[in-house]
Amino acid sequence: MSTDAALRRSLAETALSIGVLALGVATAVGTSMLPAEGGYARIGPNFMPGVTGAGLILLGIWLLYEVLSGGWRNMPPQDAEARGEHAFHPGAFAWVSIGLFAHMALIQTGGFVLAGSALFACVARGFGSPRFARDFAIGFAITVAVFAFFVLVLTVNLPAGWLAPLFRLIGIE
Amino acid sequence: MGDTLQALLHGFEVALLPMNLMWGAIGVTLGTAVGVLPGVGPALTVAMLLPLTVKLSPVGALIMFAGIYYGAMFGGSTTTILLNTPGESASIATALEGNKMAKRGRAGPALATSAIGSFVAGTIATLLVTLLAPMVVEIALKFGPAEYFALMVFAFTTVSAVLGASTVRGLTSLFLGLLLGLVGIDGQTGQPRFAFGVPELLDGVDVVVLAVGLFAVGEALYVGAYASRLPEVMEKITGSLWMSKSDWKRSWPAWLRATAIGFPFGSIPAGGAEIPTFLSYAVEKKLTKFPEEFGHGAIEGVAGPEAANNASVTGALVPLLTLGIPTSATAAILLAAFQNYGIQPGPMLFQMQGDLVWGLIASLYVGNVMLLILNLPMIGIWVKVLTIPQPLLYGGILVFATLGAYSLHESVVDLATLYVFGLLGFAMRRWDIPVAPAVIGLILGPLAETQFRRALAISQGDPSVFYQHPISATLFAFTALLIVVPWVVRRVQRARAA
Repeated sequence: MSTDAALRRSLAETALSIGVLALGVATAVGTSMLPAEGGYARIGPNFMPGVTGAGLILLGIWLLYEVLSGGWRNMPPQDAEARGEHAFHPGAFAWVSIGLFAHMALIQTGGFVLAGSALFACVARGFGSPRFARDFAIGFAITVAVFAFFVLVLTVNLPAGWLAPLFRLIGIE
Repeated sequence: MGDTLQALLHGFEVALLPMNLMWGAIGVTLGTAVGVLPGVGPALTVAMLLPLTVKLSPVGALIMFAGIYYGAMFGGSTTTILLNTPGESASIATALEGNKMAKRGRAGPALATSAIGSFVAGTIATLLVTLLAPMVVEIALKFGPAEYFALMVFAFTTVSAVLGASTVRGLTSLFLGLLLGLVGIDGQTGQPRFAFGVPELLDGVDVVVLAVGLFAVGEALYVGAYASRLPEVMEKITGSLWMSKSDWKRSWPAWLRATAIGFPFGSIPAGGAEIPTFLSYAVEKKLTKFPEEFGHGAIEGVAGPEAANNASVTGALVPLLTLGIPTSATAAILLAAFQNYGIQPGPMLFQMQGDLVWGLIASLYVGNVMLLILNLPMIGIWVKVLTIPQPLLYGGILVFATLGAYSLHESVVDLATLYVFGLLGFAMRRWDIPVAPAVIGLILGPLAETQFRRALAISQGDPSVFYQHPISATLFAFTALLIVVPWVVRRVQRARAA
């Protein structure tokens, strides 16, 4: 393993360990604002949160200790090739994320079908498909079928959005 | 005994109703499909379908979910053998010999011994569930809150601290789940906790959003980033599907031994189908008359692990149904499905909901027969399913994943949370933090808290209830041993090596 990769690995492990520790501290702070009275049981709604917060703090410290004493134990190889994978592909990560954000932005305006088709096409793009328009069309066909199934068979309404007039025309409503 | 038989026969009346047969068939078909498809597992599938429970009857829905649960174990072997990418963690042991057999042109017998072995193990295990469940119920009826709490702590320990590569990472995942389980209104005092005044958080974190986020979004981000541009080599099924006489002779004992290993592992709340599959592999490797074939495609090495994982997942239904203790992520989501109907699995389930629970058990016998047909004569269909290109497969997975999360409350907040859990799932996958303990913690945590506080309320705040009751004391002792023994063994080994 190159020193660069080793550094990146221990940076990531440190960040995650501190994240767990911070989450534990935040939980402890949140717990201190909860009431303690518990009636017959003598423990209140703050007991389990306290235990959980304490547990996370201890785990965070334990993880940090592992980082400082040679890194987290029993980890898969840092080198992607040794894991049978390829190096991190930022484009794939970005396209999947873009798809999910587009879906969030579209679902209540454009409707389920358009949001789903956009998501489908973006994810396919992220996984290396070069044919965005074809993928959008496949996504469209799948989501229209799902939409019809939900509306006609399950009688659950999904947002029709901008395509509402079209669905009304073909009798799905 | 007579009562059990009568209850089971009545269960068959329920399971064989046309509607329930249909739900069972849908379940096992979906189960096989998600077992076959890399990237989709039974936990994710049941989670995506959970919002549908409002529309379905409990019996039908649970028969379908159970079908997905054990059907996935049948389908998983196909992918493992032909692609060498295990669809489920419980299929990793199968890959050791299965893919080698396929490479030598023996894919047919490998698939056959998997399917028939799964059927044999699944059916024997179902028979054992039938016999064992009423006995466990008898014992469980004597359990009070202290015993339940002890049992849950035991389950927490096995799923997070004992199994897996790292105790500390397993526990971190568990505590993350416990924390998420605390969000919302405390069931006993009505006190909101960690809701920050956000109305969406008062209902708590939905298991659908967590499971779908971790398993679908996290998986898509991870596979996209690290494994979307790898060449895939699929082995063809050449020659006969049928096993030769010697294949049969070598498979039978392996199936039976694996069932004997897998079932107990599933039925004590020890969780996970991975350990018994590896154990079975090791046993077969030791006992085989053909040691030279191991590593090059020995049929026992496929027959054993495949039977073991089916026996184990079926065995896991014992603690789930009789005690309400899930020991895998999928079982935890099945428990959530029961809760959606206001049903709490446990001994009372057998008394109050006999139709449902015995119908469900009877459906396992029926489902195993359906799965044998689906996975042997109809294997060609699943091989076709495997050829779906990765970009379209993951596009489809995310369309259904977001649909599952959105249809909970038709809220964009759930979709945003889904993405956050997806990022979490990506990080956990990348840095080898197991996700199952988090899902189990989310579902089982609130139940454990309830039992804990109930036990203390009964004892007027005296914590000695937990060690003065013999059953709970024994369970706590076992839990302590589980943690201490492996630690001591490792120390001793290290001292000897030094």
